[in-house]
Amino acid sequence: MNKLNKAIYEIQSIEDLSSRDSFINNIHPLIKFILTIIYISLVVSIDKYNIGGVIGMSIYPIFLLIICDIPFKDTFKKLKIVLPFILLIGIFNPFFDNKILFTINDIKISTGVISMITLVIKGILTILVSYLLIATTTIDKICYSMDKMHLPKIFITEVLFIYRYITVLIKEASKIIEAYSLRAPNQKGINYKAWGSLLGQLLLRSIDKAENIYESMSLRGYSGNFYYSYNIKYNKKDYIYFIIWLFLFITMRFLPILQIVGNIFI
Amino acid sequence: MSHIHIDVQNLSFAYEKEEPILKNISFTAKENDSIGIIGANGVGKSTLLKLLVGLNLNFQGSIRVENIPVEKNTLSIIRERIGFVFQDSDNQLFMSNVYEDIAFAPRNYGLSEEEVKIRVENALKLVHINNLKDKKIHKLSGGEKKLASIATIFSMTPDIILMDEPSIALDPKNRRNLINILNEFQHLKIIASHDLDMILDTCNRTILMAKGEIIKDGDTREILTDKVLLEANNLELPLSMQKII
Repeated sequence: MNKLNKAIYEIQSIEDLSSRDSFINNIHPLIKFILTIIYISLVVSIDKYNIGGVIGMSIYPIFLLIICDIPFKDTFKKLKIVLPFILLIGIFNPFFDNKILFTINDIKISTGVISMITLVIKGILTILVSYLLIATTTIDKICYSMDKMHLPKIFITEVLFIYRYITVLIKEASKIIEAYSLRAPNQKGINYKAWGSLLGQLLLRSIDKAENIYESMSLRGYSGNFYYSYNIKYNKKDYIYFIIWLFLFITMRFLPILQIVGNIFI
Repeated sequence: MSHIHIDVQNLSFAYEKEEPILKNISFTAKENDSIGIIGANGVGKSTLLKLLVGLNLNFQGSIRVENIPVEKNTLSIIRERIGFVFQDSDNQLFMSNVYEDIAFAPRNYGLSEEEVKIRVENALKLVHINNLKDKKIHKLSGGEKKLASIATIFSMTPDIILMDEPSIALDPKNRRNLINILNEFQHLKIIASHDLDMILDTCNRTILMAKGEIIKDGDTREILTDKVLLEANNLELPLSMQKII
């Protein structure tokens, strides 16, 4: 399986996860969507030196990973892709913010190191909860939630189509690369001279595909609005789930929970 | 007398500054006609079908569907009456699962969710794919995709169906299934295809095209048994006829 086919397989596996019939999957999508937004906002707002506060916030994604039975290993493999970008953002902190905070066995730990670690954890947590949202909620339901939140329709349609057609685009790219490699068997990768024409091909095919899909949609009455089948009703469990997590988020964010727990045991 | 559903007069079409794809096409199609459009690659079969639903309005001549001219401001009325099946099913299926895709058109036409459900179930039944109702689009085989894309137009309860190469990607059993479905459809259907055996099984009238023009318009059996005519237009006798003639 080449890398592109692997990517398609991974997207499809996320779709399979999101379509399961589990407790979290059945929570109202708007509740999950709002909780994710609140969670991300609270995590991002944590002070850059408050490493304990960020670690405390990890309770939510850990809970979701366990309760939804989502494989830890696969999840962290996916995170591995974005980790270098997060590290790149925080890597300069130790150089610019070099006030020594404490030392461990003569190793000086500066505030920059702490802020870098905090930033990395923040990055991981925010990406992780976003991933967990799409792994527990189908894209249609996420778009339904956005619609309920009165987000611009054009934005919602774009999200829906980017998600839906990323697979088609990858498939097209995969076909082009397969055709290339079959005619260049001893070559590793793609010769840079062919990059331009391959990308051009991909662009032309994508435009063609997009045009055909739009034609197909307009032939079936599409006029810019998406209509959703669901008018999902809120259950008692949705409200309870929301209140409990909101309480926990605020508690974790504004109280030094780890410190309090630590003090009890030490 | 049958009601005229499609009336095409002196239709010509070319993409900007290019050679004309269609030249002076004229024909009428009645309520219960089953018309096969045949011809070699690039003769303009798909283009003709696309023009009938107004996917390109830069044509010369006139197209009328149920006496309504195909123009920008009449497209929504016309498209509500015509179901169009694309050659590539990936263009037709864009929702997450089969149910949602079949429900797309009825929802756009403002039907209640209850009516949508009935329409979807009827369409699934017509195409014999009830078992695929909740299946994810990406998990469908090529043949299943084709049948699902046909179901997406049946949910519109169209008066007219246009199909561009409908038997592509179908195995013999599904192809036979498709032929039966088409024969059960009692309204006007226009099918562009290279599958001459399918045309023979489903259409009572055939339009033979070459170089953007209609070469012959007549009885299917008459045209598809005319070896000289077919070969002169880069076609062959249908397989079932090759043994006989």
